[in-house]
Amino acid sequence: MGERIFFAIAALGIISSAVAVITLRNPFRAAMALIVSLLSVAVIFLLQRAPFVAMIQVIVYAGAIVVLFLFVIAYLGDRPPRIGIDPLARYQVVAWLAIIGLGIEGFLALGNSRLPGIRSNPFQTADLGSPQAIGHAFLDHFIAAFEGTSLVLLVAAVGAVLLARRAVLGERGR
Amino acid sequence: MTLTGIVDVHHQVTGVPLSWYLALSGVLFLIGLLGVLTRRNPLLLLLAVELMLNSANIALVGFSRYWNVSDGQIFALVVMVVAAAEVVIGLGLIVAVYRQRLALDVDALSRLKG
Repeated sequence: MGERIFFAIAALGIISSAVAVITLRNPFRAAMALIVSLLSVAVIFLLQRAPFVAMIQVIVYAGAIVVLFLFVIAYLGDRPPRIGIDPLARYQVVAWLAIIGLGIEGFLALGNSRLPGIRSNPFQTADLGSPQAIGHAFLDHFIAAFEGTSLVLLVAAVGAVLLARRAVLGERGR
Repeated sequence: MTLTGIVDVHHQVTGVPLSWYLALSGVLFLIGLLGVLTRRNPLLLLLAVELMLNSANIALVGFSRYWNVSDGQIFALVVMVVAAAEVVIGLGLIVAVYRQRLALDVDALSRLKG
């Protein structure tokens, strides 16, 4: 019972702050709402017996990634919103239709699922989420994914440097 | 491992059923998708994409627990790495656009449109 209460609190935090992220006009406040959402997702990870993923969520996501967002938002400063009518305003109803259709589809798929025990209490599991288990899984079975992440990070770093360099060259080193 | 094998080997404990996690994941994904479809500020667009990536992570870790294998958690960690790389490149693009003195609006970036 206690887990379900924690789940309800975390789910409420996730959904309310996610709605705030997509409705707030001020990017700084939206990033703050995103932090609340990410921390609530970390609580969900703890409930799912994944403490290592939860800690990485707090340190890397709520820490590093959102700080990068805040840095860029502070660097760009307050930008006035674009004046004029939104050329895509008349397509917003299509976006809402797509959201409602996808929601109904997901509801039906979840309601008609025949996976055993999907709607009852979960089964006891082995130790899956401790740092030791994650490290064993990475190095024993997923070494290619482990090396792949380093390649992805290298490409991202080189790409960011190239983007910044081209921007500086574009305005002749100003 | 067969489905009945899981049911036989492990006994149930009180907790949150998988369907609740999947429902939460779906709702969060839809909120993020709505943000991507309706916002025009690229910074807010990237924030909405983060919401969608997080909803996928909730489902992945939930299934990891359901099937009693750690694959889903590994997948979630790789998704976080991809999210970090995506944010770095996305914010780099936004700053590059800003340095060209363009408005921060994705609809204004239509020069490459065919």
